[in-house]
Amino acid sequence: MNLPGQLMRARELPVFAALVIVMGLTSVAVPHFFSAKVAVDLFLGVSVIALLAIAQTFVIVMRHIDLSVGSTVGFAAFLIGDSYSKGFGLEVSMLLAIGLGVTVGAVNGFLVAYLKLPSLVVTLASLYIVRGIFNEFASGETIIESEVPPVVNWLGLNRLFGVPYLFIIGLVVLLIAGLVMKRVKAARDLYAIGSNPAAAELAGIPVARRVLFAFMSTGALTGLAGALLLGRFNSANPNSGLGLELLVVAACVVGGVTIAGGAGSVFGAFFGALLLQGITLSIGALGIPQFWQQAVNGSLIIGAIALDRYLSTRVKTTTIMGSK
Amino acid sequence: MSRFHLTWDKGVGLFLVFTILLGTFSSEYFATTSNLTFIIRDVAEIAIIALAMAYLIIAGEIDLSVASMLSLSSATIGFLYRAEIPFEMALIGGLVAGLLAGLFNGFLVTVLGLPSLAVTIATLALYRGMCWILLGNKPVNQLPQEWVNLGYSQIPGTFLPWTVIPVVILSAAAWFILHGTRFGRWVFAIGVNAQAAEFSGIPVKRVKLALFGFTGLMSGVAGVIYTLRFASASPDGAVGYELGVIAAVLFGGVSIAGGIGTLWGVIAAVLSLGVIRSALQLIDFSANALLVVSGSLLLISVIAPQVTDYVRSQRIKASTTKRIKTKEGVQQ
Repeated sequence: MNLPGQLMRARELPVFAALVIVMGLTSVAVPHFFSAKVAVDLFLGVSVIALLAIAQTFVIVMRHIDLSVGSTVGFAAFLIGDSYSKGFGLEVSMLLAIGLGVTVGAVNGFLVAYLKLPSLVVTLASLYIVRGIFNEFASGETIIESEVPPVVNWLGLNRLFGVPYLFIIGLVVLLIAGLVMKRVKAARDLYAIGSNPAAAELAGIPVARRVLFAFMSTGALTGLAGALLLGRFNSANPNSGLGLELLVVAACVVGGVTIAGGAGSVFGAFFGALLLQGITLSIGALGIPQFWQQAVNGSLIIGAIALDRYLSTRVKTTTIMGSK
Repeated sequence: MSRFHLTWDKGVGLFLVFTILLGTFSSEYFATTSNLTFIIRDVAEIAIIALAMAYLIIAGEIDLSVASMLSLSSATIGFLYRAEIPFEMALIGGLVAGLLAGLFNGFLVTVLGLPSLAVTIATLALYRGMCWILLGNKPVNQLPQEWVNLGYSQIPGTFLPWTVIPVVILSAAAWFILHGTRFGRWVFAIGVNAQAAEFSGIPVKRVKLALFGFTGLMSGVAGVIYTLRFASASPDGAVGYELGVIAAVLFGGVSIAGGIGTLWGVIAAVLSLGVIRSALQLIDFSANALLVVSGSLLLISVIAPQVTDYVRSQRIKASTTKRIKTKEGVQQ
């Protein structure tokens, strides 16, 4: 096995290098930047987006997209607090949240896989519908700290050897998802579907079933991310998770998970999320006005897409979902 | 024998009539002139951007950065005016900012060959960031009174707000160009098969670049209207409008796969969503219902063509079998 060679060709390498360079340059410029506090800020800030980016990878590698995650993660966070405060136990509350995510994922997946509807439209619709039902359910209420299950609260506030528990949860999910995406045949099928759906069908892959299952997995992780969101802020309100979907897709794209499908890994998506968060922190530490942050993020995403395009040697025509 | 074929865009037109009737019956305030003024003013920005977005989606591309471009145009107006540039010049500056932003999207897509979905997620952040850089967190509120009045007031002697003029003129022009000119046919041809369009001599890249520029310019126009309507230029205006625009265009019968769509369908969709919003507000229905209704309409707009296709294929199959059977009958 040629490990250095493999490393050089890894799609995750540019984004990882960028992360190291950004953090390195900032710590040279700002002497006290590289500290435990910054690391905690980075890890805590990134945990929800990172988990959602892992989940989004499942659908993006199939050349699909799931825009409904922002609504679902907010609803899941609210649901955990709400059901816990109504006397359900922690386990039941968590199951309800994950069940919510799986249900949304199953509906999305069914419409995309079996009715062959475009995922962009389907999940845009469910973004609206889930947010509408969520706001009706919440009816203007806010989940306050006393309604958050103590375990979730504790996980959001505490650290293991200086690493926030929320980030550790993200890491564990990353390792499991990474292993599954690498080794399990059904998960490898997702890449085949994304590279060429028609060929995947002809090769005997049960495309519809795989698509449905991938959307459900995304939903399940989104429900779990709801717990992280609740633990992070110790509160939830009808606007929780609003607009997160675009940040999540951005993290994937920066991490080398191509919109065109068939390429990229959960590790890349995870590093993409870390890089976006790391740059935010660097901008703050360097004393650049925070107004520059979004513009820098936007430029970074353009750079990442352009680099990816440059690195892929095949010449293809483009559509809105990338290259045909 | 010519039969009336119910296509999706006609269906949306009927739906608009239906929603207006529903609104009229559900509340006595619905059909008042002040409410109609409100509806028109409320949909103006989305309507204008939706015109351009329809072109873009028909041509097989998409632009998620429209709300940021709207805001960038507004922020540019505020920035220039704060720098004591005459307000008329600032307005032109806003339009130019929109056009340049759109052309930059087009450059990334056509020249560098990047996917528009990913590119415009990036420029969504980039242009919004530029709004913050231009204005900081201080919105510009002291705009010239006569211009602000224009944003509020009606055309003398009617209940129509001034914004109706650009909306009608732009809709008519966009309709004529898409459905009445060679350029419009090119847009459809590119959406059906860009490669075939290229081979048949259509300058695909230049057309797409023009469409992105057009979308930016229309977002700029919407930004001008937005600034006048709210009498303020702030960096965080119109957040999330892009999804509303795309939802309206798709509900109006434009296929996300490209090559299919009509402008009257899109206009009817924008209006009917505005009418539903107003009717729901008047009968004191929660705003959440609107989210669910918009989402459901969007779903129906993609499911319905599949259902009609299925029914049509079944009918064709049935009639063919019948014909074959009769033929066999004759032969015997």
